[in-house]
Amino acid sequence: MTELHPNHAIVLVVEDDPILMLSLVDFVENAGCEAIEATTVADAIRILETRPDIRTVFTDLDMRGSTAGMALALSIRDRWPPIELLMVSSQPWDAAQIPARGVVFGKPFDRRRIVAAIQRFAA
Amino acid sequence: MASQRLPSLVEDDARLDALASYAILDTPAERGFDDIVLLACQLCQVPVSLVSLVADDRQWFKARVNFPSCGTDLNSSVCAHALAQPDEVLVIPDLTADPRTRANPLVTGDPFIRFYAGAPLVMPDGHVLGSLCVIDKAVRPAGLTEAQAENLKALARQVVTQLELRRAVMTRDQARGEEQRAYQVREALRDAQARIAATGDDLDAVLQAVVAGAIQAVPTAEGGVIELLDGDRLEYRAVRGTLAPHLGLRVPLATSSAGYCARTGLPYLMADAASDPHVRRDLVAGLGLGSAILAPIPHGDAVLGVLKLQAARPGAFTRGDLDILGLFTSAATAGLTEATARADARAKDVYWRGLFDRLSEGFVVGEVIRDAAGHVADWRYVEVNPAWGELIGIDPSTVAGRTVREVIPDIENEWVSEVADVVATGRTANFTRRIGTLGRWYEGRAFALDGDRFGIIFLEVTARVEADARRLALLSLGDRLRDLATVGEMTRAAAEIVGRTLGATRAGFGRIEGDVEAIEVEPDWTAPGIPSIAGRHRFDDYGDIRAHLRRGDALVIDDVATDPRTRDDPGPMRAIDVGALVNMPVRERGRTVAVFIVHDVQARIWTPEELSFLRNVADRLEVGVARVRAEELQAVLNTELAHRLKNTLAVVQSIATQTLRGVTEREPVDAFERRVLALSRAHDVLMQKSWAAARMQAVMESVLGMQADLDRFAFDGPDMDISPQAALSLTLLLHELATNALKYGSLSANSGQVRVAWRTEDGTAPALVLDWTETGGPAAAAPTGRGGFGSKLIRMGLVGTRKADLRYASTGLRAEFRAPLTDIQIQVH
Repeated sequence: MTELHPNHAIVLVVEDDPILMLSLVDFVENAGCEAIEATTVADAIRILETRPDIRTVFTDLDMRGSTAGMALALSIRDRWPPIELLMVSSQPWDAAQIPARGVVFGKPFDRRRIVAAIQRFAA
Repeated sequence: MASQRLPSLVEDDARLDALASYAILDTPAERGFDDIVLLACQLCQVPVSLVSLVADDRQWFKARVNFPSCGTDLNSSVCAHALAQPDEVLVIPDLTADPRTRANPLVTGDPFIRFYAGAPLVMPDGHVLGSLCVIDKAVRPAGLTEAQAENLKALARQVVTQLELRRAVMTRDQARGEEQRAYQVREALRDAQARIAATGDDLDAVLQAVVAGAIQAVPTAEGGVIELLDGDRLEYRAVRGTLAPHLGLRVPLATSSAGYCARTGLPYLMADAASDPHVRRDLVAGLGLGSAILAPIPHGDAVLGVLKLQAARPGAFTRGDLDILGLFTSAATAGLTEATARADARAKDVYWRGLFDRLSEGFVVGEVIRDAAGHVADWRYVEVNPAWGELIGIDPSTVAGRTVREVIPDIENEWVSEVADVVATGRTANFTRRIGTLGRWYEGRAFALDGDRFGIIFLEVTARVEADARRLALLSLGDRLRDLATVGEMTRAAAEIVGRTLGATRAGFGRIEGDVEAIEVEPDWTAPGIPSIAGRHRFDDYGDIRAHLRRGDALVIDDVATDPRTRDDPGPMRAIDVGALVNMPVRERGRTVAVFIVHDVQARIWTPEELSFLRNVADRLEVGVARVRAEELQAVLNTELAHRLKNTLAVVQSIATQTLRGVTEREPVDAFERRVLALSRAHDVLMQKSWAAARMQAVMESVLGMQADLDRFAFDGPDMDISPQAALSLTLLLHELATNALKYGSLSANSGQVRVAWRTEDGTAPALVLDWTETGGPAAAAPTGRGGFGSKLIRMGLVGTRKADLRYASTGLRAEFRAPLTDIQIQVH
């Protein structure tokens, strides 16, 4: 799909559950963006370090090691402040814990809103 | 004896009364009369002359010359014949010749009188009492000369004058005597009454005064006694004069003169003891009794006793004396009644005094103290009873005259203002109040006495008040523990309640560490000025207290200075302001995991009630902590479950989406995704109440907010808890309705609105009625054909009742759904 949208924004999708990864990638592509997949936080960091063209990160907060997702989000906000953060979670989060400009969606997914948010960030 | 017939006038009662009024018979000779008979002898030249008074049975001579006897019987009387002719001198020249006198013994025998002339003694009232007569032993045929007769009459008038004079003098003297006597009696009576009044309630002194007064009033009395009735006897209770040696003598009521008087209730004059029918013969000599007067001392209808005066000679008393005696028995009755009343009153005083002293209630008589403006700022003790001392703990003999603020410094102002109010209004005030400096509670009443005085009667109720306080504290603790969500909040709440209830200076909760080596004390409650001991402490630093706690027993120390576990070195305890302490174990699964700590800066005796209270608090804390732990665990489980459920639903969405990847029409896939999403929203709301219930409006807002901005919906209805099933059903129903409204209905237009209204209907089958009303959009039209799954969900209505009334109006869809309220609401079991 990458080659189909050579000029579109690139979104890094971080998800350790392969079935959910399918949906998250779907949402990114529905929004007309290109998805790069990372299945661990370490992968994600490595990719971010080599791909300065990534402008949006879309991550699940409910990954193995319960705080791994949030730790990633916080470190991205710290190391790459311009990157937009889009998150999904099955748990309620205190607004104070969410990194600046970050948006959290619940599970199960509300496709319309997620897609709209990706498009807004990519614009 | 026919010749001796006497004139009937001799026996005339009026004449005899007149004679008696002169009281002349048997009186001694008097010069005045003697001179007259001497003159008569010379005048008439006779040897014998007499002033003869004729009584009914004899004649008696007030004066006589040359006549041997002072009187004769009437047989021998010549004078009696003179009575018949009051205007003339009776002259009998030869007594032997006159038929009236020839048989007279004085004529026929010695002294053989022969001549008689008598001038009648005619008194001013006309009565003839006798005659002035002259007698000769020789016959005198010539009788008297006219001059002699006239002169004899003149002398007779002189006798009458003498008699008149004598009677006048006598009457005057008698009046004077009576006056004197009455004065004496009055004097004696007044003295007696004064003495009675002065004796107070001394019964014997009253009796003594009466006897003395009676003797004083009746001078012929030589001895006196009051004999009081005692069963069937009379006892000599007050004696005087000749009876003085006989105090205490007891005589029988039935056979004594006093007994006779007492039995009859009448005064009695005993003229002569020797012949008296009532007196006890064996007593007469011993008492020296010649005559007596006796009078009963009455009291109502009864007789208390007898007042008796006696003299050694017979006939010493008169009826008048008996009357006087009556005056004194009345005084005795009055005195006895008064004395008895006073004795009763004193007995009552003694009784009340005894009651006051023995009362278990404290009793205060006090008097308010006013400042210049009349304001009451203090009060003074007038009197307190022994119980007051016990209840207050101050020697009661030290307080009279001192003020309450002096006796109990720093006493609460209410103890003064309340009595000020009582004195001002006269209204009784009931109180239950503490004297803080004594640490004791009192209950009682304050009441007004006269003027600025008041009384307070009270009991100590410290034990009861403190028991009430402990009971209320346990109730309050129960409420607090039920409402609090964390163990820390609970232990702090318990510490404060316990500290305040027991009046301790510190209370707290500490977790045991290791093998009862140390304790981690949580933030504690302390009285003002007492520092917190929150933090870690090693038991061994404070004495030999560890072993006790290890066994799981409560550690109770009344005084760290004397308790064997701490007395060797009470310093560390003192350093943290501990004089007395209780550590009450709190167990978890049978193991002591914590202790509830109560400290007092002073030594104090922990009562069994207080320890029981602490045990109770510790038990409740254990239960409360266990509940919080269970709830915390439940909440964790719930959150985890919700998290997994939602994650799983997301996975289901993914699988469905990927499964239907080949389906070109995306709408059903999208619809599926959103229904799953809607269902998940219902779970979110349910989880807030641990899936037991959900708030109805929250359910609606959650699902509708997923579809459109909430400001496009108007909610109108009573919020209520609904069951999980109702929440899921309502969510799916509203989701389909909103989806349709977005596609075809009011929400498809920019200005369209939906009003969601619900109400409950009472009746035999209470129902929930839900109205969905769309406005501001296009006209509604019924769907063609059977419709899809969405239409089915709508027609199923709420909780599957199928009571769905759908109206496709030109203003938009209007739908009404009904369901039994019992299916909607939570069933409370």
